[in-house]
Amino acid sequence: MTSPERKLIREFTIEPGTGKALEVRRGQVLRIAQTSGRQCADFNCFNLHDYKEFFHTGRTRHLHGLHPTKGDFLWSAPPRERPMMAIIEDTVGTNDVLYPRCSAFLFEHQYGLPVHTNCHDIQAEAQREYGLTPDDVHDSFNFFMHTGVGADGHPFIAKNTAGPGDYVELLALIDVLAVPNVCGADVMMTSDFELKPLKLSIYEATAADWAGVAEPPRLVNQRNPLQFKVKNIKADRELYRDPAYRPDFTNVPIRNSEVEVELDAEEAGWLAQLAATGKYGDTDADVLRYVFFTWWIGQFMRGPKHVPKG
Amino acid sequence: MTKTIVKLRLNQQQLELIDNSVKAGESGSREELVRRALREYARANLAQAGQEK
Repeated sequence: MTSPERKLIREFTIEPGTGKALEVRRGQVLRIAQTSGRQCADFNCFNLHDYKEFFHTGRTRHLHGLHPTKGDFLWSAPPRERPMMAIIEDTVGTNDVLYPRCSAFLFEHQYGLPVHTNCHDIQAEAQREYGLTPDDVHDSFNFFMHTGVGADGHPFIAKNTAGPGDYVELLALIDVLAVPNVCGADVMMTSDFELKPLKLSIYEATAADWAGVAEPPRLVNQRNPLQFKVKNIKADRELYRDPAYRPDFTNVPIRNSEVEVELDAEEAGWLAQLAATGKYGDTDADVLRYVFFTWWIGQFMRGPKHVPKG
Repeated sequence: MTKTIVKLRLNQQQLELIDNSVKAGESGSREELVRRALREYARANLAQAGQEK
């Protein structure tokens, strides 16, 4: 439900085959809503004041898994790595950051349809209003796209379960250019084999909207162009070598050293048992190192652990 | 009592992580921290070790 305190700024509908680039300022909420239901919405966003900072499916997937939902963030790409928007409402919970945007190539290659609605071209056409090129489209956040991964390791697209009026709401944490589009895939399961309009609304956020947003990390490695060695955006297409370039990699050279660990008989017995499983490494040292870091991750690492069970 | 020496090959970044944990009071030394990890990991993952205190 929309809070009665919220002020509606703008509202309109995007038709099948289209998308819209929208300026959404920090403290505003973008709602993407179903009309008749079962429609996937592809989505990208950019820092409104620096388009080189953009939404990144990879970091978002790393931190929130394959199906981000209410309480999760849309992160920008490394090295910026800031939360750009927060998902503050999601009435369905079937979002996807696994699949890339569909493209003209895909429909030509897989369906023999060289001219077909597709999310890459829709995104490109929508963001062209702001001077961005087709090369500036990035992998999308796929709202209402119901997906999973099978036991064989292959991803799959399941039937879209979004109903009429279902919606997601994104609170802008920085000024963004948000680009939602009606997914153009009508010959895939993505939108239940029919393209339907989506309703877009922009509101001023209320205190209640902000209340549910977790405090994001603020770290020295969320970098900005002031810290880049190359300050200017490259404006020509040809790549050529900088003769003044001198490598300056972090913590190089990497130097290995040995740390002796003295184990008593009981500890050595446990290590032998772990080694005997064959799961942790070829030598006692490999096994102990695996055990140490896996334990450390479980004890102290922040965020999802990304280690196998057992 | 029989002792076994295992030589862990670690780089300076990995040692930094270990040293940070030692400085944070998780253990008295690098070696103690690794042994703690082994004990706790074994208890969690080996049925026999899990029965021991």
